[in-house]
Order: sequence, then C-alpha cells, then structure tokens
Amino acid sequence: MIVEYLKEFNLVSVIVRLFLALVCGAAIGYGRSQKERSAGFRTYTLICLGAAMSVIITLYHNEMLQTQWAEIVARVGEKFDASRLAAQTITGIGFLGAGIIIKGAHQQVKGLTTATGLFTTVSLGLGAGIGFYECVIPALIVIIFVLNVMSPLEAEFKRRLRNITLNVEFDNVEDINQISEVITDQKAMIYDIDVERGESKGEKLCSAIFILQLSRQNSSHSAMLSSIAELSCVHSVHELIS
Amino acid sequence: MLSVLNGLRNVDLLGCVMRIIVACFCGTLIGLERSAKNRPAGFRTHILVCLGAAMAAMTGLYIYLVMELPTDIARISAQVISGLGFIGAGTIIITKKRTIKGLTTAAGLWTTGIIGLAIGSGYYELGIIGTAMVLLTETYLAKLGRLIQQSPEYIIEVHYNEKDTLDEVMRHCKDNRMSIVNLQIESLENDPDANYVSVIKVRGNMKSSELLRRLGGIAGIVTVETQ
Repeated sequence: MIVEYLKEFNLVSVIVRLFLALVCGAAIGYGRSQKERSAGFRTYTLICLGAAMSVIITLYHNEMLQTQWAEIVARVGEKFDASRLAAQTITGIGFLGAGIIIKGAHQQVKGLTTATGLFTTVSLGLGAGIGFYECVIPALIVIIFVLNVMSPLEAEFKRRLRNITLNVEFDNVEDINQISEVITDQKAMIYDIDVERGESKGEKLCSAIFILQLSRQNSSHSAMLSSIAELSCVHSVHELIS
Repeated sequence: MLSVLNGLRNVDLLGCVMRIIVACFCGTLIGLERSAKNRPAGFRTHILVCLGAAMAAMTGLYIYLVMELPTDIARISAQVISGLGFIGAGTIIITKKRTIKGLTTAAGLWTTGIIGLAIGSGYYELGIIGTAMVLLTETYLAKLGRLIQQSPEYIIEVHYNEKDTLDEVMRHCKDNRMSIVNLQIESLENDPDANYVSVIKVRGNMKSSELLRRLGGIAGIVTVETQ
C-alpha cells in the first residue's frame, strides 16, 4: 500500500525518491571517497540527484500534459517522449566522464573507475527518480557490496600478486643488462621489457618498462624497487599500478 | 505537486517572470555556497547556468503550448543536459601531479542546470527541493563523509642516503599498521644533502604528524615530510 503510494506522482513520493537518490549517490561516493578525498562523495551524490530530478521533471511534464495542458495536446497532437530527458543524462554524463579520464604517462589510463562510477550513479538516479524501487534497491545493495567488500579484497589480492610493472629511468640502453642482472639476482622473472629512448625535460634519458614476476621467497615490491634504485646508472624507479 | 501554484505554471508573462525570479534565486543560493568556498565556478556561473537552463525549458514549452507547433516539450531540455556534460568535461583540469580538479564543480553545475530545467518547466517545487538537497549535500554530507572516512591515504616524501634507511622506513610503517600503496624512488644528483628521495603513499589510521614523528628518528634520514 505504501509502495503503491510511493509509486504515484505526489510530493511525498518525490521527496522520498530524491532522498533515495541521495543515499545511492552517497553510498557509491563513500566507496570511492578513499581515493578522491572529499570530492568523490559530493560529486556522486550531486550527479545522482541530478539524474533523479531529470526523470521527475518528465513525470511532471506528463502530469501537466494530461491535466492543465490537455486541450493543447488534443489540438496539436501527442509528441511527448517520456524517456527523452532521461536518455540525455546518460549522454551528458558520458561527456563529463570523458573529461575525467587522463592519459597518464607510460600507457596508464587513470580516472576510468571514477568515470564508470559516475555512469552507474546516473543509472541508479534514473531508477530512483522514476520509482523503480525493485531495481534500485537490490542494485544498491550489490554495488555497496562490490565497492566496499570486494574492492579492498581486490586491492589486497593485487598487492600480493607477484607480477609488477616498473618504470625505470637510466643513462644508456646498455644499462638494461645491469638492471636485468639485479632483477634476476633477486630470483624474479622478466616477462617483458619495453624501451623508450626519449628526451624528457631536455636531457636524453632512457626509460624502460619492466614487467616482472617476483619470486615466491622474495615477493616484496619495495625490496625490488630499492635494489634497482641502488644502481648508479638508474635515475628513478616507480611502480605502475593500473 | 501543489495545485495552488498551477496558476503560475502557464507560459504567460506572469509565469515567465516567476520562473526567472525563482531560477535566479536558486542559482544564487547554490552559487553563494560555492563561492563562499572560493571555488572557481562561483556565484555568477551558477546563476547563468540555472537561468540558461530555465530559459531553454521555457522555450520548449512555449513552442508547443503557445505556438502549438508539434514538438516534444522535453527536447530542448534534454539537450541542455547533454551540453552541460560537455561543458563539465572542459571544466575538469588535470594538474601537474596528475590529480583531477574541478570534478565537484562540474557535477554541481550539471545538477544546477537540471534544477533550472525543473524551474523553467514550471515545476517550482522540484526546483526548491532540489536546491535544498544540493545545499544539504554540499554542507552536511561533506562533514558526514569526513567523519565516517576510515583509513585515509596520504603521501610522505623521504630524503635519505643509504638503501637500508628505506628498509627501516618500510618496517616502521608496517609495525604501525600503515600499508604501502605506492612507492617511487629517485636518485638525486644535484642534492648535496641526500642521495635518494622516495615518495611513498601510505594508508592507515595513524595521523600523518604521528607517523612523521616516528619516522624522523630513523638513522640516515635527511628529511621526511608529507606532500
């Protein structure tokens, strides 16, 4: 009975749906706010609210066309498309997401999870706004589970993985031999070496991306990094985390 | 919806003036809150977006209701959403340290635009409630977010001379239950004081000041600071 009331278009259900959108956005934002600091939280909530509002505007249009403007509809004809406004939110958030994605150095793409998170938030907002509680509430539970339970698990899993990708800057191409020796001394396996002879900052620096598998005994990422950094020919080492 | 307002929902002079005033009002409220925090998009930007969206929505209604031309009243409004997304993408800047700035601003402008669409359509209730919720998000939710945030991440920068020093630093972090998220080591050529600098991203419940205090005592450390 309450659910039926909340599925109708009235002031109470509108407020309930907006709060539901707020909660959805906040839930996703919380899961992401670790990485983005406080910006993540508010951004997701705002986007979710906006998406819900766009759908509620559609409901309003529909209501008005059936009551106050009904005679104009009778004269001109029904041209109303109920999903138009909602559809464009998806396009709009796609654009916004594109602005977030950065091509970092060394073939790294950053910001992708943020952008896709926004996209999901919009979908939740659309569902919440139209009163599609059957979809939104289960989806919200699953998303909270995925973000807050699985995500740290994934991070922990990756950390313990023995595969690492390192970016190393050094003097000459010949130094790769030395670096490889250090790596194999630590009983690690080299999967791939990708050399870039580049001119960064005006100096002719070489850099290479090493994809390694660390040995079972010696699986500390930081130990490998410091051993490589110890070489005099090496300028910098850092781990690429995608 | 409140039926008492139905008189203001028509696209006549009274309805238009009312919509413009309310759009200005809502845009001002949101804009003031943002410019109080010295955000790049302040006061004027939010009003412009809210007004612009309201006018677009009004025009869509006018074409169908007054001029009685066949069209979908929501078409222009829909494209506003798309367009604001595009503008938002351009607002986002990537700083030198490859962090994203301006995302909340872009999202706020987008939502302000949608509030403007609601007001322009004559749906004053949603405009006001929406504005209230945006303000609620900007103020209280942010505080709530900071309160329940656990295990924050931060970055420390260590200048040192020997390789062993870094191992000590790592060991101290582990002992204090701070996990290492990311690690970068660079050798310094032009620095007379230190041979290496390491930028470490740590995650854990210990405050940065406390961690720095504990790390400062390690032998071989030249400087240690947060970024």
